[in-house]
Amino acid sequence: MLFGKRTRDISSRGLSWSNSESPLHLYIPAAEYLSESPIQFGQINPNTAPYHITPLHQDSTQPFPSFPPGFPPSSSPSVPLPFPMSHGTTTLAFMFQGGVIAAADTRSSCNGLVACPASQKILPVHSHLVGTTSGTSADCALWKRILARELRLYQLRHGRRLSTAGAAKLLAHMLHPFKGTELCVAATLCGWDRGANQQENRSKMGNETDDLAKTSESDSISQAEARGRNLCLSPAMSRQHCSAGGKQLVLSGPSLYYVCSDGTRLQGVLFSVGSGSPYAYSVLDGGVRWGLTVEEAISLAREAVYRATHRDAYSGNCVDVYHITSHGWTRRDREELREEYYREKESERVKVKERREKQEGVEDGQSSGRKK
Amino acid sequence: MALFDVSGYKSHAGLRGQILGTGVGHLVDRTNQEFAVPVGVDPSGFLKSCSREGGVSIDLNHGTTTLAFKFRHGVIVAVDSRASAGSYIASKEANKVIEINPYLLGTMSGSAADCQYWERLLAKECRLYKLRNKQRISVSAASKLLCNMMLGYRGMGLSMGSMIVGWDNKGPGLYYVDDNATRLSGRMFSTGCGSSYAYGVMDSGYREDMTVEEAYELGRRGITHATHRDAYSGGVVNLYHMQEDGWVKVCKEDVSELIHRYRKGMF
Repeated sequence: MLFGKRTRDISSRGLSWSNSESPLHLYIPAAEYLSESPIQFGQINPNTAPYHITPLHQDSTQPFPSFPPGFPPSSSPSVPLPFPMSHGTTTLAFMFQGGVIAAADTRSSCNGLVACPASQKILPVHSHLVGTTSGTSADCALWKRILARELRLYQLRHGRRLSTAGAAKLLAHMLHPFKGTELCVAATLCGWDRGANQQENRSKMGNETDDLAKTSESDSISQAEARGRNLCLSPAMSRQHCSAGGKQLVLSGPSLYYVCSDGTRLQGVLFSVGSGSPYAYSVLDGGVRWGLTVEEAISLAREAVYRATHRDAYSGNCVDVYHITSHGWTRRDREELREEYYREKESERVKVKERREKQEGVEDGQSSGRKK
Repeated sequence: MALFDVSGYKSHAGLRGQILGTGVGHLVDRTNQEFAVPVGVDPSGFLKSCSREGGVSIDLNHGTTTLAFKFRHGVIVAVDSRASAGSYIASKEANKVIEINPYLLGTMSGSAADCQYWERLLAKECRLYKLRNKQRISVSAASKLLCNMMLGYRGMGLSMGSMIVGWDNKGPGLYYVDDNATRLSGRMFSTGCGSSYAYGVMDSGYREDMTVEEAYELGRRGITHATHRDAYSGGVVNLYHMQEDGWVKVCKEDVSELIHRYRKGMF
């Protein structure tokens, strides 16, 4: 409804300042190369790239992709990027009965240098919506602020908060004009919607679709593989689409969307973004269930980030955990993962010592028994 | 060398030939080990032209997941069984563990042809070593043999990521050998493009004093979660346990059943 009303302004975008009454009042840089040469979407024409700005602060430069090394190129012919980029971080978010948990590390890297060991990668957008950021720090911070401004304007005009789905759609559409440029934003929006219906709707939907799980899961996995992407979508995601269909728009409760500057917008129950995401995914896959308690969920998120920072060079330092409920988001104190590492090593050492003493005690008992 | 000429020293190879007779060359069968590259062919140059900077992109991927870890009661080896050719699944029950002998195992990831050939060659060398020296080859020496084979062809486009697992006089042994001739000894390794998923599970579940059943479960879980997220891994989990008196094949379970079991709460 929102976009249908304003189509006349959308058509004029990309050229100059739009009319100030449009909610998509954005400054679109009127760079010649955006309008003149027929750049195919998703690729950058290396010949006509007048922007040679070296980014001062960027989350790691490393050859794309951020998946484990050896990930094959996608089906479109690969064109060399102006400079190599990657999402050098670990962020994750998942939904459960108690709301949404979002967790991220705090290392900002710049091509091998840790530019900031205490950066904030989870940015609150409003009281009930939080966004994790991955990609270029500057781009993420700017677009989060733009999104916060647009959501606030929506709230003032319409008297209610925009849903997470709407916010995701808004962000995806705002990033669309920059498709094919060096903009790099990969965010997961975690929020709690409060619609006309109560919160029970979403958890009820989660239970009803258990039966559909077996039949639809094989379809969803083959679809995901057919797309040639090295990322297995959560089966729950397609399940929600199959069963809910049009009903989804009026649901309220926890909600999780992944938005990427190349145009991807996905709903799901579990996402992890960044170079450390494979390590986090396997830990989360083994533990995430709808019925987790809040403490279990928080400790699982911490564990996943800890394991990812242990193996990935571009993630580390500390972990931030946010928990979003119907009352809004709450932030857990930032924790140094170095302490966690030492604690784990210490408990291992204690356990080994205890077991060794126990074994020696058993052997002494045996030998004394034999003497008799 | 001038000194040799003056002193009348006969070169080593000549002496050896006199003592052992012609035909028996070196301790290691060098003649059969390498195949000569045809004159004029330059594999390294060709590969450079196939790199990303040249516009073409031929990535030699290790499309699999294999893992191995040492613990109190030996070494656990777990591999998936999917062989892919691009996006086509060539086989869903490929055998990625080569049983070199009853006390040595080798895993394979990377190009199937390279792995199979070089590891069979390694098996031949291990057998010859045992016949010549009347004792088993150590895991360290076996992995070094493989590493040196890789070094001879470095930069020419081999693709192999393998773990050599065994039990010798020094106890359980686990080495990772690469097509770059990297050779690392360690406590826990995982190779292939699904390896990062397996690392997450292994790191969080590993305890040095695990029981045997717990170790089996950890190996299975590692492969299962990796096959769940990685498109290039799948099929069945082949699980081996290297003990003091040799290896045993523990199980061969389908990953789709395993993932249902582990993620019951999610469905």
